Amino acid sequence: MPRRLTAAPQRLLDRLWPWLCAASVALSLLMLTALLSLLLVRGLGHFWPATLEEVTLRSGEVVAGEAIRETPLPQQAGDERLYFTGNRDVAGASWRWVPVDDIAQRTTPEDLVRLTRTPWGDFIGRLVSVESDGERLEGQPAWDYLTAALALPANQRPAGALLLATADGQTLRQPLTNISGATAPNAMAWWQKTHTWGERVWQFLSQGPRAANTRGGVWPAIFGTVLMVILMSVIVTPFGVLAAIYLNEIAHQNRLTRLVRIGVRNLAGVPSIVYGVFGLGVFVYGIGGSLDSWFFSDTLPSPTFGTGGLLWASLTLALLTLPVVIVATEEGLARIPDAQREGAVALGATRLEMLVRIVLPMAVPAMLTGVILAVARAAGEVAPLMLVGVAKLAPQMPVDGEFPYLHLERKFMHLGYHLFDTAFHGEDVQAAMPLVYATALLLVLIVLMLNLTAIFLRHYFRRQRGNEC
Amino acid sequence: MIPPRAPVSHQPLRQLKNRIATSLITAGGIGVLLAILAIGVFLIWETLPLLSLDETFALTKLSPLAWGTLKAALAAMLFALPIALGAAMYSALFMSARLRSRIKPALEMMEAIPGVVIGFIAGLVLAPWVERNLASTLMVLVWLPLSAGLAGVLWHLLSSRLRQALPLSWAGLWLVPWIAGMLLLALWFAPLLETLLPGGDLRQLLEQRWGLDYATRNALIVGIAMGFAVIPSIYALAEDALADVPDTLMEGAHALGASRWQALWKVALPAAGPGIFSAVMIGAGRAVGETMIVLMASGNTALLSASPFEGMRSMAAAIAIELPEASPGGLTYRYLILAALVLFVFTFLVNTLAEMVRLRMRRRYQKAGRH
Amino acid sequence: MKRIDLSRNRGCRLRAVLVVALMLCASMAFGQPQPISGTLSAIGSDTMAGLTLRWAEALTNRYPGISVQFQATGSASVPPALTAGTTRLGPMSRPMSAEERQAFIDRYGYPPLALRVAKDALVLVVHRHNPLNAITRQQADAIFSTDQACGAPSPIRRWSELPATHDWSYGHIALHGRNLASGTHGLFQAEVLCGGRFRPDISEHPGSSAVVAAVGESPNAMGYAGYNHLTPMVHALRLITQDGTEIAPTEQTIQRNEYPLARNLYLYVNLPPGESLPPADQAFLALILSEEGQQIARAAGFVPLPESELITQRAW
Repeated sequence: MPRRLTAAPQRLLDRLWPWLCAASVALSLLMLTALLSLLLVRGLGHFWPATLEEVTLRSGEVVAGEAIRETPLPQQAGDERLYFTGNRDVAGASWRWVPVDDIAQRTTPEDLVRLTRTPWGDFIGRLVSVESDGERLEGQPAWDYLTAALALPANQRPAGALLLATADGQTLRQPLTNISGATAPNAMAWWQKTHTWGERVWQFLSQGPRAANTRGGVWPAIFGTVLMVILMSVIVTPFGVLAAIYLNEIAHQNRLTRLVRIGVRNLAGVPSIVYGVFGLGVFVYGIGGSLDSWFFSDTLPSPTFGTGGLLWASLTLALLTLPVVIVATEEGLARIPDAQREGAVALGATRLEMLVRIVLPMAVPAMLTGVILAVARAAGEVAPLMLVGVAKLAPQMPVDGEFPYLHLERKFMHLGYHLFDTAFHGEDVQAAMPLVYATALLLVLIVLMLNLTAIFLRHYFRRQRGNEC
Repeated sequence: MIPPRAPVSHQPLRQLKNRIATSLITAGGIGVLLAILAIGVFLIWETLPLLSLDETFALTKLSPLAWGTLKAALAAMLFALPIALGAAMYSALFMSARLRSRIKPALEMMEAIPGVVIGFIAGLVLAPWVERNLASTLMVLVWLPLSAGLAGVLWHLLSSRLRQALPLSWAGLWLVPWIAGMLLLALWFAPLLETLLPGGDLRQLLEQRWGLDYATRNALIVGIAMGFAVIPSIYALAEDALADVPDTLMEGAHALGASRWQALWKVALPAAGPGIFSAVMIGAGRAVGETMIVLMASGNTALLSASPFEGMRSMAAAIAIELPEASPGGLTYRYLILAALVLFVFTFLVNTLAEMVRLRMRRRYQKAGRH
Repeated sequence: MKRIDLSRNRGCRLRAVLVVALMLCASMAFGQPQPISGTLSAIGSDTMAGLTLRWAEALTNRYPGISVQFQATGSASVPPALTAGTTRLGPMSRPMSAEERQAFIDRYGYPPLALRVAKDALVLVVHRHNPLNAITRQQADAIFSTDQACGAPSPIRRWSELPATHDWSYGHIALHGRNLASGTHGLFQAEVLCGGRFRPDISEHPGSSAVVAAVGESPNAMGYAGYNHLTPMVHALRLITQDGTEIAPTEQTIQRNEYPLARNLYLYVNLPPGESLPPADQAFLALILSEEGQQIARAAGFVPLPESELITQRAW
């Protein structure tokens, strides 16, 4: 009987396909969690004072450093481990691959220290002595003196020099003024490590980048991102609301309006890079170029507004997020029952009064949601900014004490671009990786927080409205 | 009692204010709309000079880019569609309402993760890992769907008490550890399986048997990364479409003796078809225009190859890296703007199509609901 | 383009007072003359952005009164900016062309002062476990180009076609390089490909460090990058010259210009003959050509000038 034959596989399908679908949800959740936990672990772990190892190789050579990762060697010859050894001035390189099978002994001596220096980067080794004012300290007093000196602001530190020894016995002198930090992670208790961790996280958030973006913090990037987003929302809110009011309240609801509405909605799906091209062509080269030739001709050929800058970036992103705000506000306006409007007009209000006193207050939550969604989208956008004003390094903040205080023509730093730049343009990607993870984590946190706010607001207002009904 | 106010027409100031405000809003609104529409006009204007030039130039420059864009989008859709649609079907038809109200925002949060972060993970973490563990990756791609089926079979074999403890309506959540476990199993098992291959190395086999070169950053990586990025938008729209199918339709189908599979295949999917179609279109539109992920994970090789293990260069990525250095008005500048125009027109058309289909469907349901 | 202003280091007014007070002590300690102040602005090369910044950082550490602004717009933007008088200092990763120089002379009547400030090199890199150690320029051309303009008989696509890696088990050579807009791309084309055309299947990365990272992750890859981007993930190939000697890109060979792909990094200065520079600019030049400045260049991954050359450069 042919029916029976087809029935069996069909029954199987009937049983199994819900599981395939359920597994899709599970897989999506798994990927999301994996991504977030990878960022969390790598991003935050970087600030934890890592254990320093002293490794004696079979050849008798001694290497001290932080173990970074292990990869298999070709031809199944075991694994090799990457150590960050610092000491670029002495060793010529600050990284070392060590085949795991070559390691004779692995210890974590408590007297290993890690110093942050300029210009040569980290030093890993032992502190032999401190010389200051003709005095010579050794052992624990030397370490105490060093930490006390480093606790002072950079320009009040006593002049002096450190005598350091690397793990393989070379010694070097280092002026105290070149040192910016010192830890002895192997000797630290967990609470000391937590304290240092907190300090480093704070430094990451509050300081500017140093040594051409390979160290230091991301404060200018946070500042630039936030300032750009604020400017953008200041621009996008009135215009978006205006357009939404026009579309929903004033324009005749005919075929053309419907078409325009569909058009606006679809612009939300146009790739952001296209907006970037528009911004570059119209704002930067078009408007900016003309502004330069009218007002800033004395500084030409170096452009003032005719190059990417804060203003153009905010405008471009405002254009990009305009559809989001318009659509959200319109939805809010459409949800207001016509009876409210009719009632207001019946009581003698003009259209303006009806709009300002009745309709707009009721649509505020929708506008707010729209603006927050716009902000969330703008905060994560990088591609258009690469064309219209983001900079790799711009410690010259767009806001400062110089008149006119807010410098709209200046380039600015952006978290997303900073991430891209350190990962692809930096000097030593391996060294910058932890910073990249931390920046990525920060960016994701900011964007997620904005989105959560939007979701929460929408939910809250919806429920409130539900209670009213 | 409220004293009667004079009629509006007797208050010239209020009237005037109203008129002025209305015309201001009109002007502002039209102005904003025109500004938005100016994008298209600008792009066309800037590419016009290309017409007077040698036409083949733009075409030869653009065709690898167009191919790369499509290839990347296709790879992303291949990865995203089964997952997004499966997730949509599950959460619209089976998931418990409580779980759904939690899971849906969580999956929507996925959309918020910036492309530059996904691109960085894909290009600098995933791509090297996949290159070292190609066999494991392919194994995972095959094994995960099978293991989901296996979960179903095992579930049906369980005692009824255990089945109640692990209901299907919560499977989206409790399958997470199962999937993770299966993933680890596949990762552990794949290298053993690879040694059984002739030569013991998958990449060599691919290369010698089929002549497939392997590039670190390739369509596979871009597909996974960009697929991850477009899953949420496809999921959200498709789920809405499926959830909008009136319950009466499904109940009717069940009453007539249809199995769940038949009810889905013969009733729910055709009814939600246009909505799902528009979800897929919008996902495709996003995949075509995504810049940072392709820029960081694709290798940017302008190749016309269909191999999943070779890279590509998309229009969006080409614009992002080359336009800032191109001198305005020059040939490169114009052809990059042409690429932007192509992107603009393509995504605009795709989205309009999706929107029209969606609106039509909504109207149909309103009718169906009324009957 | 980047603008860098290190004046932010100065902090608030109170701290500035403290700084000045301390500067007095410090200047006595270091035997420096009176503190110098002023604004120093430079426009220039992208390659040298990190280096210029580090120099600027050191300068403002020593003279907190100086604030530095730097825009990295690429080497090509330096000559017009110098000629137009927008900037007095212009770091460039290549020498000025004859036309660029002539344009400057036409405007001012004297040539710009060209200082060599450090050395850099283009390096070919492979994965750290790759047995290939040396390569001829013709081979490199045969690997990277479609037309073998340097005269190699046939293109090289697979590791087995190179004698040193005949038994290397990885099949084809995966190529990595820079994107079209970068100067490194152009330099490689001119120097290694003899002006020929790049293969289309080279992965074009938006930065040198991305090239190095990509090569470091795949054993069958080869790429080119700036010397200062070398990491432990890769090793740089020695170049075999016409007479058969192998030259590794090391500090010594680059310093002595023995490595064929070495290049000078320049600082162009608009200095009218017989006049002296403002004190801030003078301090900057003195720092760059001092032992400390050269050590900073080394720390940034570049190669310091040899002592002999340094002395001639100091005599500007």
